[in-house]
Amino acid sequence: MWTFIVRRLLQSVIVILGVTLISFISLQMGGDPTFLFVSERASEEEIQMIREALGFDKPLYIQYLTYLMNVAQGDFGNSLSYRQPAMGIVLGALPATIELTLFSMFLAISLAIPFGVFAALYRGTAVDGGIMTLAMFGQSIPSFWMGIMMILFFGLYLSWFPISGHVPFLKPLFQGDFVTAFGNLPSSIYHLMMPAVAVGFYSLSRNARLVRSSMLEVLGQDYVRTARSKGISERAVVINHALRNAWLPVVTMIGLEFGFLLGGVVVIETVFSWPGIGRLVFNAINQRDISVVQASVIVLSVIFIALNLIVDLIYVRIDPRVKL
Amino acid sequence: MFNVRRLSIAAAASILLTQTATAQVSDDKLVVGLSADITTFEPAAISSRDNANIVRHIFDTLFSIEGDGSVVPDLATNLAISEDGLAYTYTIEAGRTCHDGEALTAEDVAYSFNRAKDPANAFTGNTPGFVFKSVGFVDAVAVDDVTVQINIEAKNTIAFGLLAEVYIHCKDSYAAMTLEQAATTPVGSGSYKLVSWTPGSEVVLEKVADPGTFQSIVYRIIPEASTRSAELMAGNVDIITNVAPDQIDAIDASGTAKVQSVQGTRRMYVGFNLSEPFAAMPGGDAIQNPDVRRAMQYAVDVPAICEQLLNFPCVRATGIVNPPNANQSLTPYPYDAAKAEELLDAAGWPRLADGKRFTIRFQAGKGRYLNDENVVLAIAQYLSDVGINIELDVMEWGSVYVPLIRERNVGPLFFLGSGGALWSPLYDMTDLAKVDAGTNYTHWNDPRWFDRWTDIAAAATPEDQRVIIDEMLKVFYDDGPWLHLYFQPDFYGVSNRLNWTARPDEKVYLFNAALN
Repeated sequence: MWTFIVRRLLQSVIVILGVTLISFISLQMGGDPTFLFVSERASEEEIQMIREALGFDKPLYIQYLTYLMNVAQGDFGNSLSYRQPAMGIVLGALPATIELTLFSMFLAISLAIPFGVFAALYRGTAVDGGIMTLAMFGQSIPSFWMGIMMILFFGLYLSWFPISGHVPFLKPLFQGDFVTAFGNLPSSIYHLMMPAVAVGFYSLSRNARLVRSSMLEVLGQDYVRTARSKGISERAVVINHALRNAWLPVVTMIGLEFGFLLGGVVVIETVFSWPGIGRLVFNAINQRDISVVQASVIVLSVIFIALNLIVDLIYVRIDPRVKL
Repeated sequence: MFNVRRLSIAAAASILLTQTATAQVSDDKLVVGLSADITTFEPAAISSRDNANIVRHIFDTLFSIEGDGSVVPDLATNLAISEDGLAYTYTIEAGRTCHDGEALTAEDVAYSFNRAKDPANAFTGNTPGFVFKSVGFVDAVAVDDVTVQINIEAKNTIAFGLLAEVYIHCKDSYAAMTLEQAATTPVGSGSYKLVSWTPGSEVVLEKVADPGTFQSIVYRIIPEASTRSAELMAGNVDIITNVAPDQIDAIDASGTAKVQSVQGTRRMYVGFNLSEPFAAMPGGDAIQNPDVRRAMQYAVDVPAICEQLLNFPCVRATGIVNPPNANQSLTPYPYDAAKAEELLDAAGWPRLADGKRFTIRFQAGKGRYLNDENVVLAIAQYLSDVGINIELDVMEWGSVYVPLIRERNVGPLFFLGSGGALWSPLYDMTDLAKVDAGTNYTHWNDPRWFDRWTDIAAAATPEDQRVIIDEMLKVFYDDGPWLHLYFQPDFYGVSNRLNWTARPDEKVYLFNAALN
């Protein structure tokens, strides 16, 4: 297993290098970024001075290699907009996104499994039809539209939930300020509800359909029929025999799901004024704040790779047929 | 039983949530919803309007420009301008302090100016990038404790107003700070001090001196327009900026807030890039002819665009200068497609067999100005209607369009807005102060405009100057490099509990805001 982990970590380095290279090239494709950091009345000499100060006068490969060397020494550069260390800005925004992503994942998975199971158990009935209709809506409705509708209905009309904003939980927790973190927790969850549902509804729907089809396949297997013929209760058959096997494809999806949700939060963070990494990256791309974009890409890649590694290890644990 | 228990908990939770969600803003707090994130509190690095609107409450300036264009004293009590117009001597109000308690003297004022210019700091904000370049700032010298002299390169009739944009702070605190610290922990000289800044989320200011009605001001960053409107209508925010035109009716009908619509000072136009490389492009040769440019003025129904797309009955611009200071003898070009076609025929660009006269690329950024993408589409359609085949190229504003604009490498047609002011026509005209000015994106080089700047500097009286200005504006109207559009309206949502009036110059100053 350790060989597998080391191999995956080495592959991860290549992946991270790849994504940084792609994002670096993409950001350069819009022309000379120097012009975003000079005043519109700057003279040619001043533009050239700023270009040299920012390092944009050097050939692209030199810029990229210099960046890599600095990263290897733990220097991710300074944000050109904020004039602060880029990694500090990214890590400052990350907890809010993790809160949103984890909570929406929690909602998506915790609801998708019972929905999928019930739809499979009551196949062809109104329960199945209702759940699948809901899932169809979930996969068809754009998350930003749903977010806005939730704001208007649950936030403005019913006043059940805050319309926008964020109360931090993870950030003070990571900083060791447990009193603030847990003091904020109820309010933090309260602010999370609408954005998490908006982000997670698509995943919920997809996973519910996945669990349903998986369950249907498993429920028709011989070992389930055998379990029933042994007189085991239907509840035990479903939970211990069917669901345990139907769960495998869902676990596989979870790692991918996290990456999908991280991508999906960009829009929702904007709709709900959530100060997370999605909005930060969006603004950084618009401002060509290359250091911030690169630091974000690295952080998100590491998270994505780590989660997929964890999922692979969990998969081995829950499916004895799989060997590393 | 299990489900009933769950439902009871959910019901209790929803009651609790209902109580919390409807909490209103307290009477000593003013909450403003802004559309854009801010990036810095470094006074010399600020360039965006949203950023400046917050920072202006933290830092005072020597003089202050009011919404109607009048200039009133702020930190300074008096100004004397030398006969040659090169030295501006300000007298500072005694007894003023910065937020750390340090007395604010002339030395601090001089330091604020000189620090912003210091090349070692490489600031590119409004102060060094616009004000200093426009006035030809040389240096600032403290004459005594309350007298500071600002020296400029050449006589400049609008230097007084421009210098009023420079933020003043104390020397000791800033000399002791790194640039990173100065960007996040401002030590200001104004009515409010920074309490907290959560990037991407909110900025909290606390009152430390007059003027200012509210004890605290909270700026919340709410990028999505519909979310801002919902927060306003729910009573969680007192003022929102950049209300989307399609949400005006909903806010007005909410019973909790109203929209204040003001004709802003930002000049929106379609620029004609007249440079040689662009003249060699398809359509670039056609627009070299002033008759063609004039024909295109008639081809676009600007009032209809305003009414349909901006939800505002704007007046079409006659040029580069805001209406109160414009050449009053000029009338906006009317929409007259037949005349446009007639002029294009006469200019040697008749419709060909396919109905098209010439093809030309029209570039624009999206997401920066009010409903910009739709406005651009409408303009393109109007021009197409008179036989001009438009190749529309709408691109991302920040990452793609801005570098092209700054390189002066956009066009041959391009859509742009430029911030203006009410206090002087020359302020609006300085975009085209020189042929090679960074803001002359059109590369226009008509000597009837550019040669007159020396006449303006030499004018003996304001009346003489006004005559020259009007002559220049007439040239700009007839043969200029802009297809004149409109002065962009601004929409502010204002809570009914608040007495506050929006200004036309996009400055959201809250010193005089009060509860009804």
